[in-house]
Amino acid sequence: MVASEREFEKISEKVMKEAEADEVEVRIIQSDTALTRYANSQIHQNIGQEDIDISIRAVFGQKTGAASTNSIKEESIIDCLSKAETIARYQKTDPNFKGLPEPIEMEKIPENHVDQTAKFTPDERAEKVKDIIEMAKSEGIDRVYGAFQTQEQNLFIANSKGVRRFSRFTSANLTTTAIADWDNDQGFGWSESCSDDVRDIDHMDVGSTAVEKGLNNMETRDIDLGEYDVVLEPLAVKSILQYMDMMGFSGKKVQEERSFMTGKFGEKLMDERVNIYDDVSDPDMIGYPFDYEGVPKQRVDIIDEGVANEVVYDSYTAGREEGKESTGHALPMPNPMSPLAMNLLMDTGDFSQEEMIEETDKGILVTRFNYCRPVHPVKGILTGLTRDGTWLIEDGEVKHPLNNLRFTQNLIEAFNNIEAIGEKRKLFAMGFYPAYFAAPALKISDFNFTGSTEF
Amino acid sequence: MRDLVEFGIKELEDKDVRYGDIRLSKINTEVISVKNDTVEAIKNSESEGYGIRVIDGGWGFASSADLSTEGIQKTIKRARKIAKASSKASDPIELKEIDIYEDDYTTPYKKDPFEVSLEEKLDYLIDVNKRMDIDDRIKVRKCDFRAWKTKKFFASTEGSMIEQNLVKTGGGCNVNVSDGEDTQKRSYPNSFGGDFNSKGYEFFESLELLENAEETAQEGVDLLDAEQCPEGKMDIILNTNQLALQVHESCGHPTELDRALGTEASYAGTSFMTPDKLGELKYGSEMVNIVSDPTAEGGLGTFGYDDEGVKAKKVDLIKDGMFVGYQASREGAEKVGVDVSGSMRADGWKNLPLVRMTNINLEPGDWSKKEMIEETDKGIIFDGIKSWSIDDKRLNFQFGTEAGYLVEDGEVTDLIKNPTYTGITYEFWRNCNAIAGEDEWKLHGVPNCGKGEPPQTMQVGHGCAPSRFKDIRVGVGKW
Repeated sequence: MVASEREFEKISEKVMKEAEADEVEVRIIQSDTALTRYANSQIHQNIGQEDIDISIRAVFGQKTGAASTNSIKEESIIDCLSKAETIARYQKTDPNFKGLPEPIEMEKIPENHVDQTAKFTPDERAEKVKDIIEMAKSEGIDRVYGAFQTQEQNLFIANSKGVRRFSRFTSANLTTTAIADWDNDQGFGWSESCSDDVRDIDHMDVGSTAVEKGLNNMETRDIDLGEYDVVLEPLAVKSILQYMDMMGFSGKKVQEERSFMTGKFGEKLMDERVNIYDDVSDPDMIGYPFDYEGVPKQRVDIIDEGVANEVVYDSYTAGREEGKESTGHALPMPNPMSPLAMNLLMDTGDFSQEEMIEETDKGILVTRFNYCRPVHPVKGILTGLTRDGTWLIEDGEVKHPLNNLRFTQNLIEAFNNIEAIGEKRKLFAMGFYPAYFAAPALKISDFNFTGSTEF
Repeated sequence: MRDLVEFGIKELEDKDVRYGDIRLSKINTEVISVKNDTVEAIKNSESEGYGIRVIDGGWGFASSADLSTEGIQKTIKRARKIAKASSKASDPIELKEIDIYEDDYTTPYKKDPFEVSLEEKLDYLIDVNKRMDIDDRIKVRKCDFRAWKTKKFFASTEGSMIEQNLVKTGGGCNVNVSDGEDTQKRSYPNSFGGDFNSKGYEFFESLELLENAEETAQEGVDLLDAEQCPEGKMDIILNTNQLALQVHESCGHPTELDRALGTEASYAGTSFMTPDKLGELKYGSEMVNIVSDPTAEGGLGTFGYDDEGVKAKKVDLIKDGMFVGYQASREGAEKVGVDVSGSMRADGWKNLPLVRMTNINLEPGDWSKKEMIEETDKGIIFDGIKSWSIDDKRLNFQFGTEAGYLVEDGEVTDLIKNPTYTGITYEFWRNCNAIAGEDEWKLHGVPNCGKGEPPQTMQVGHGCAPSRFKDIRVGVGKW
């Protein structure tokens, strides 16, 4: 990384000094991303990216404008400020905008920054990938796929009201797909691991889990469509949490009556064992301690013992409701997606995955879901397909693999039909936006499968 | 910019890499969103940098925003180091030979969208927003404008030097309605923020948002009281805004050669259209012809050259219903023995080029939509993207649209809500029994196609005319 906190402060001070706006905010995100992709047991894409984004929000009264640049040259930054101010001047007054956030004292939370992750080299990534390739080959699989990513990020936020935040962050993520492929048959298997510390990534465990699943997923069979008990592994549960988050947990969506939480606060929505909350300070979670407006992230108990309890806010959506404060869940503003729960956890239960299977007469074990999309977000209806390992459970045992199945299911009903919650949870990263989820395995009854595919 | 690119190529030649290319670009973006008469977002972004690809043992790629000669040298060093690491687990890389060009290309456009005053754009969007304010059950009224301008240079150690200036513009409007019991959405001219083309501000004007705002809002309200989509099997007619996505998901993605060869297996998935099926698979009915065409006028995936320096050209993917071609990179084309298609594109300067759709177009037929309706006993017309999902080999799909219209005894009768349909790709396209003609053919822009790791978003185009498919399962799930 080329810039330090002091250099960011200098940029910010320059902007504050030159600004004509009533209020101004400077947000700087600097990142270095390294990723090694492998396919057909070969490294085929291998990259290193560095970039910086300097975003300026200017405010005149209740009019805001924003501009960004990735140049750290002084003239570019001043030009960026000028664009933001010009936009703000042309803007229309927004009565709902109550100003940039005020500074709030926050407890010092340890950074999720690990030097070993930041300094992990292309050679080290390639060696780990090679280990997985060779291990898979020794098991008869010569087609493994995946990606090993390490990332370092600096986030700096300052505004003219006195907010000053800086934090560093690292993440490491390894995925493996193993494809057993012989006798005109294919078996797909998957595993992944995520941490802020690359030393926590047990690459051989990831690789061997994927290989084992691939080997056990050949000669797949069809099954009649309909409602089944399902045992969802943590990655499958993560997909459900992710879409619940997008469809329901934002203050903005509630305000616009686009959330399944709208009008339901205080009501029991789900099984009473369900606790879903956003808490970056939880030991099982990683992320920045503050949001993209510099507001400290608060724990938000979204579903509390099955009851719709609260949702997340940024400063704008909080300003639209009497007595509300930002919970620290702003995305980089302006942003139609904001606010968003970005560090979501579900409480664990008492069951091992093995116990869930043992207590199932007839059901389906799901490794993960693919291409989920809301069908009716306000009703909480989601569709998607199983992927990389789906098995029939009969009489308490995993019997044989199944062709992938499509579900079309009301998630609220599904979370009312929970029969068991896993005793451990696993951390997962989202690809497209900076969010993390910690999810346990779940056993759910009457899960509705509406279609099937050919593999 | 050109000087820096030339410096980089000389450095790569001096380092004696087997192959190297540099893509330097400057991208300006303007986004305006107006919601419920207030401006939700206005942002002007500028990003400039370069990506360097090398073959030096294996593949290596590094990108940076450091626009100094030292920055170029440092980034080449990083790319080479990465390439050396790749060689620990990589077979020799061969690239298909291509024609080498020194050329330039500029998007034909009339009005520069960045030169139109912010005030004019804002006032227009607010007018559209107000025009949609027709009923208390409308909770959200939203209008969007987006424009992109890219100046980029591509140069390679093989001698390419290409400058391109690309302009894209578009927008749309939509409403979310709620009566406390149900919620619906209606958009114009399409979801994902509207419709987009490689044209100037004149394209945004041609969308006529103001003229269509009230009708869009009214239909959103009407959906609240509409009947639920029936369950069963029947004929369906897809309007172009939905058919564009059907083409995208069930033909565009599976004919990407990198997917077919497995290089997206761990993320986006693979393809049922594997090389052994090339020339053998009956993909659709004989009337189905689908092409990759980055030369299509105004398409969101239109350009002069791709990010490997391959000149844009039209390629057959499906001919008379048969699977006959791939979207292929130089490396993939060499591996399988097919031609390059000019489809390698990267999201900005920072990312590695991947096989990406350009304009994947369903060629027009000789029907009219009116004739299709008249010759349908029982069916549904689907309009406006709402939900889309497909498996990782691109076989089983399920789509939902914002609105449906029942067709009974050759006439359009009722509006229906939550319409969904599902099928298996090749069965669906084999059941295509009518495609409308050129006068109903429309080129839509999809601005949000995701692929790759780290994730990349690409702008692609899809041209099509309303088409009919027989005996399709509709009305999926419990409501």
